[in-house]
Order: sequence, then C-alpha cells, then structure tokens
Amino acid sequence: MPDKPGILDRFVDTLPERWLFKWVSNHVLVPYWARREPKVPLPGGPRPALQPSENLQRMMNLVMPLSDTSPIGRARAAFAIAQNVEEIFAGLDNVGTVHFARFVLIEDNICMISVYDGDFSNYIRDFIATVGSVFDDVMKLVDGGKAMIPTAHNVEAFIEWVRAHDLFQAPDFPTDLFALQDAANGVAPDSPPHPLQSLPRALILQMRVNPNLSLGGGYRAYPGVSAAQVRGEFGVGW
Amino acid sequence: MIAGLDPSSIQGNVLRGYRSNLRLVRHLMLEVTDLGAARRFLATAATGGSAEVQAITTDEPWTEKQHLCFNVAITFAGLRALGVPASSLASFPLEYAEGMTARAGLLSDTGASAPANWPAPFDQPDRIHVIASIYASEDSDSDGSSLLDAVQRQVGQAFNVLGVRDGAGFPEGKVHFGYVDSISQPRFRPRKDGTGVEPIDPLGTVLLGYPTRLEGLIFRVPEPWQLGFNGTFNAFRVLAQDVVGFEEYLDRAATDLIERLPDEKICALLAPEDAKRIMDVLLGPAERRQEPPRDDRFLALREIVAAQMCGRWRNGDPLASCPDVPDPSKSLTEFDYGASSTCPAGSHLRRVNPRGGPMVQRIANYTRRLVRRGMPYGPPYDPVRPDKIERGLLGNFIGANLAAQFEAIMCDWLNLGLQDPEITRSNDPLLGANEPETSWFDLRLKDGSKLRIRGFPRFVITRGGAYTFIPSMEAIRYLAALNR
Repeated sequence: MPDKPGILDRFVDTLPERWLFKWVSNHVLVPYWARREPKVPLPGGPRPALQPSENLQRMMNLVMPLSDTSPIGRARAAFAIAQNVEEIFAGLDNVGTVHFARFVLIEDNICMISVYDGDFSNYIRDFIATVGSVFDDVMKLVDGGKAMIPTAHNVEAFIEWVRAHDLFQAPDFPTDLFALQDAANGVAPDSPPHPLQSLPRALILQMRVNPNLSLGGGYRAYPGVSAAQVRGEFGVGW
Repeated sequence: MIAGLDPSSIQGNVLRGYRSNLRLVRHLMLEVTDLGAARRFLATAATGGSAEVQAITTDEPWTEKQHLCFNVAITFAGLRALGVPASSLASFPLEYAEGMTARAGLLSDTGASAPANWPAPFDQPDRIHVIASIYASEDSDSDGSSLLDAVQRQVGQAFNVLGVRDGAGFPEGKVHFGYVDSISQPRFRPRKDGTGVEPIDPLGTVLLGYPTRLEGLIFRVPEPWQLGFNGTFNAFRVLAQDVVGFEEYLDRAATDLIERLPDEKICALLAPEDAKRIMDVLLGPAERRQEPPRDDRFLALREIVAAQMCGRWRNGDPLASCPDVPDPSKSLTEFDYGASSTCPAGSHLRRVNPRGGPMVQRIANYTRRLVRRGMPYGPPYDPVRPDKIERGLLGNFIGANLAAQFEAIMCDWLNLGLQDPEITRSNDPLLGANEPETSWFDLRLKDGSKLRIRGFPRFVITRGGAYTFIPSMEAIRYLAALNR
C-alpha cells in the first residue's frame, strides 16, 4: 500500500458526504438492494440467552400506536393510565419479576418501557391474568387494540401483538445480525458466509423494515440480579 | 366421570395413564405420503377400528383388562399435510406452529442437546407429521412386542414410518437414575375419601375450551371448534439420561462431604444413627447382605444428595415430610412447602411443581401443571456389566398451552430458578442445562442452613422431540373427512 492515499482514494473517502452520492444511495442503491435482498421485520424483545444472568433484567420497549393521535386522543391515553395506575402497579407487583415499568407518550405512541426477569410471554400472560380487565381500558385507545379485548380471552394473540410492537433489539455484537436475518429467512446461519463488509448494508436494509429499534440490550447497574433478589436483600419481601 | 365431559370424545392418554397396566410403549414418527390412505386410516381408527386398523383408545371406562391401547398426536406440519386450511392453521398457537426445534433456546436444548445433534427422524422435524403411540401389556395371549409389531404394520400401510422409539416400564415405577417417578399428577376430580392438599385442577389445565386456573383467562381454542375443542398439546421428548455420570457424581459428592466437612457438620446432614436406617429402607434386606460389607455412612450421604436434588428419596418418599429417613408409611402426595420446608427450594420437585409454596410469581402457584406420561427406554444400567447403550425417558408433557405450562416451567423455573431468589441463576440439578464449571445446588442442613455443592454436569440430554396436538376423537374424524 502507498504511504499516502492518492487522489482517487481521497475522493472516494469524501463520497458519503457528497449530496449526489447521498441522493443516489437513498433513491437508487438502497431500494435496489432492498429488492435484491428483501428483509423481514425482526421480532421484538430480548432473545433467550445461554447465560442465566443474561435472562435477568431484560428490556421491554413496547410502542403502541394510538388510534386517535389528536391532542384529545393523547389526553384520553394519559387519563386511561392515570385512572388505572394503581391497579396496573398492583398487577406488576403480582407478576413478581418486574424491576420497573413506566408509560410514556412519544409522538403518536403510548409506550410501556419496562425491565423484567425471565421469559417475556410469562410476564405478559401473568400481567394480563391479574389486570387484563384494567389494561383493556388502555388497549381500547390503541390502534388494533379493540380486536384483542378482552385481553384475558385473547392472551395468545395479545402476547404476539406485544412481541410485534416491542422494539427489535439490535444485537450487542453487530455481526450477530447476520444470524438473526438468516433465522428470520428460515435459512441455515452463515451458509454461504456473509462478508464482513456487507454488515452496513445488512443493517441499513434491516432499518427499512424495523425503523425503530433498541440499540443493544442496555446498561445494567447490577447485572445478574433478579427483582426478587433485590427486594429480598432490602427486606421488603418478595 | 367429570361433569360435562363425554369420555368417548377425548383420547384416553390425556386424563389417564396406562403404565400401571401396559408396560410397553412404541412411538411411531410418521410422515403423510399418501393423503387418502392417511385419512382413511384416521377415519377408521376414530370410529372403532377394523381388522386392519387399530381403534384409537378413548377415555371411556374400562370394563375389562386392556392389553393394547393406541393414540395419535399431530404436529403442525402434520395438520398442514392433512389439508387443514390456512385460516385454521393460523388459529393454532405460535409455539406449536414453530415447533420444538425453533424453541430450542427457550428450552435450553443447546450444546449436546441442540436439535442439530438429534438423530433421525428428529433431524427432519418438518417430515414428522403424526406421532402414533402403541401401548401393550405382556400378559395377554400374544406377547407384548408382537402386539406392537402388528399395529405398526397396520400403521405402516397408511403412513411412511420415519422412525420408532420403544420404551418399557421398570418394576415399581422406577426410572433410570433409580427414582420412583410419575407420582404426582394433576387431579381433575376429588378423591372419594375427600383427601388432597393440592387443589383440584380445572379441566382447562389439560383440555382446550374450559376455564383455567388463572381466573378469567381462557386459552384460545383453535378453529374450527370441532378441531380445537377437547384437544390438548403435548411436548414429546426423548431425554437421554447419563446414569454413569449421575452415580459417579453422587460418589464424588459423598466423598467430598466426608473429606472436607468436620464431623459435626456431617451430622447436620446425616445423624449417625440414620445411616443404617436410610439404607435399610432404600435397599431392603436382600441387597443388604452384599459382601464386602458396605459403608452405610458413605451410601447414605450419596442418597441424601440424590434425595435433595430430586426432592424425593429414590423410593419416592417426599423430603418435605421425610427429611431424615425415608418413611414408606407417609403419603407420597399429601404434603406442601412452607417457608421453612425441609425440601430444598432448588430440588427438581419444587422447581417443576412448587405446590402452595412461596413464589416470586405470586399468582403462578398451580397454574403451570402438566400431565406427565413417561416411559423409560434402554435397558436398566447394570454397574457389574458397564455399557454405553443410550438410555433415558420417552416423555410426554401434556397441557392446554405449551407456552404457559411446559415452556414456562422449562425456562423460568427449571433453568433459571426465578421463583425463589435463593435459587435464581441456578439450573435444576437433575434436568437442567448444567456445566460443571458453573453448576451449584444448595443442600439443606438440619438446622435450616445451606451447604453449596458444585461441579455437576448435565445429566439429561435431549435426543429428539416434537410439539404435537392431541386431537379429540371428534377432531380426528374432522381431519379424516377434510376435502382434498
């Protein structure tokens, strides 16, 4: 390799910042590759891990689109949470495996952000079994929610709906994305092997179908500890 | 009889086990290659059978001793192969549709247990459409295995037999590892004498279309009603058991305890006078006369480790009511776990059925009950003539919702220990996906304190399996009558 990059090298390095190249990438290259290598939306939430400690303190980023996004509709959602918050928190208490959960309105969505231990479907199922009738008041305001009311009678559908609306969690090791895409396409992992330089393309194409995503699993101040262990340690009963 | 349930409408292996009568089982993994033949077979089998087709056994009470039972279960690929329309397929639960191999991470079917290592026919899960199970006794006019062969020939006329797994019960209901197994099962009707510390399980635990233990929660009945109602789901598992590894670990654990612990600490695990009493109960007088004389303290410590790992002594007596010495006069099922139970929270028994004991998931007591129908495969291990034959358990774990029952037990309780902060991050000592480098289990001492033992490997390896749907009799007739 030459010591100093030549003119052509320097020009190529500046390409990503040039408007023409950006325009061509967005309007020609990405759509072309998206047709050539179609990606399916990847499922939301954490994936089962081999390490038991990785199965504790898992993140949920549930994004539920509001059916009425006007200020009145958003206020209705705020009321629905405020009116039922005691019961919802009592329900989370009964589930027993939840570290924290909060509701936020972000643009046209009502979001439930939560950290829990163990398998996602048990969390949702136990939650609905305890406070499904209360949570139905929230689901009434969510796009597509009415079809699942009462959630206690549609728990399988509700769990799948939550999984679809929980943000996809980008893997902590970027190259793991290949395996997830292969699995979603129903093909054997890494056959043929994916060249490393195709990773940015794989990520960009995935972002077309999963526009919102969680970047990695997130930070934990005390990893590998369950909610019940924390409560037990502080003597507040589990 | 259960009110509101017609016993002729459901298959016989759901509410009732056959093992006490029928010692032999053969599971046939079948592919539908001739749709017409498969449908004709199912139609005849579900309407009383014929000379060429074995009738499917229902739940109707037996008026005479049975020598042969026959049941069928269908995978998701099988429903599709039998021509179930897409709209109906979409009403089946996701975990069943995905199949057992897709759920490997959740079930800790990893490493040696990974589906990639499963032998045929389980290496091609999409081809397994139907699992037919034949149960036979040995005390009929013809011997049991010829009964099995005869039915297999009939089935082979209608289906492509991809693989066969044979099992046979051991005396006294024991399984490899030497424990008496399949003691506690869900109960759907009260006992005549009114006893029972465990609540009666609602029928929705094991059949689709009925209320469940979780108040107000109903599991979806797949559509159409005729196909889904009175059906249930089954996790069929081929579980290889490392008998040598297990016994060797017990040797090592007992040796370690004796070498490392001061005598007074050992007394907190085993009172000196109990060693002989434990071995008298477990071995019986015949085996006790062996020469050279055996070291009762060593043997009893091995049995204590085995009992605490399981939650029952190997003769089945529960640790919860027999903490010091197994006592066959105590009930095998009438016990519960309190906060100071003498049965360790990490034991296999408490992990898979925590009964009324304290639970992190406060509403989950009794909500994840499974009907278990298991039969050992492979010959009993004989330490005098060591061999490397694969042996283990052919297990059926039956429940109305695989995700809410089987998978919930497997991932949160068996392999994570989420139900009790004292055991969280440890796996089930008998069944869990353990690695010697990280495994641990807390023995319970008589003063209530704990003694941690480590270093045990994975004793049970998954060697195959499938999620199946056990259709009602009505549903089998529906499937048989589907138009092409």
